[in-house]
Amino acid sequence: MDAVVLFSHGSLLCGAGLALEAHAARLRARGVAPIVEVGYLNYSEPPFTEAVERCVRQGADRIIVAPYFLVPGKFVRTDLPQAVAAVQAAYPEVAFAVAEAIGFDALLADALIASALDAAAPERWHDDLRRSTDHCRNRPECPLYDTPECPHTGTQRAA
Amino acid sequence: MSRKDALLVMVHGSPRPTANEEMFRVVEVVKRRGVFPIIVVGFLECNAPSIPEAIDQCVAQGATRLLAVPYFLHTGTHVAADLPALLEQGRERHPDVEFRLGDYLGRSERLTDILEARIRDCQNR
Repeated sequence: MDAVVLFSHGSLLCGAGLALEAHAARLRARGVAPIVEVGYLNYSEPPFTEAVERCVRQGADRIIVAPYFLVPGKFVRTDLPQAVAAVQAAYPEVAFAVAEAIGFDALLADALIASALDAAAPERWHDDLRRSTDHCRNRPECPLYDTPECPHTGTQRAA
Repeated sequence: MSRKDALLVMVHGSPRPTANEEMFRVVEVVKRRGVFPIIVVGFLECNAPSIPEAIDQCVAQGATRLLAVPYFLHTGTHVAADLPALLEQGRERHPDVEFRLGDYLGRSERLTDILEARIRDCQNR
């Protein structure tokens, strides 16, 4: 049984994984593979190794790792092969394959044009920040922690 | 005065110049589609022009409306805070120009399409 792990860098900002979670949900709905998980190199949960573990527990015998990176730079060329070698050693009975990074695609031009034509006026420029605070994990590492934007520490101070 | 749109592509930038090659190829495709009379790429870090310089270039070319799109996959602090702040500064320098900000690329379902294609290529290899 095939599984997919979307591999991403991770972020300190709470809510930074929203876009990737949405892609994972769509890939599941499209039936691209019976199992689709998200795994991060740094900061965000779950870490890559835990995502692989979840796939194996659900019965995957082949795991396609798809890098959610625009450019195949250091993270894709160096860190990802190391991470894959480590899980391959832990699960020798599972086959691992790594997909290409996003790179060039004419669909990116479609996305750019659609975004520009639908662009918002200044009163909506902080929507991304608000969406992130909806997913507050109350972590001191988050750049919003202890700022007025943080729902946790901000509310505490107001109370 | 008739409206003249500028597309401002806001890119992270990289110390490795080759890291921007694929982004420039995408921008070439956008240019060929002929939707926007002005298209300028601006970088947050490392590369030139900077985003403030790119904003000023759009205005110097006669833009009356500036449509900014973050060429980013995630909402980190760059997308959520840094890029809106640079646009606010641009509005202050150019009060007669209308500024609009689009979704970052990662929010587009087209990215799901690309991931699906990369996964299927790998499955069939």
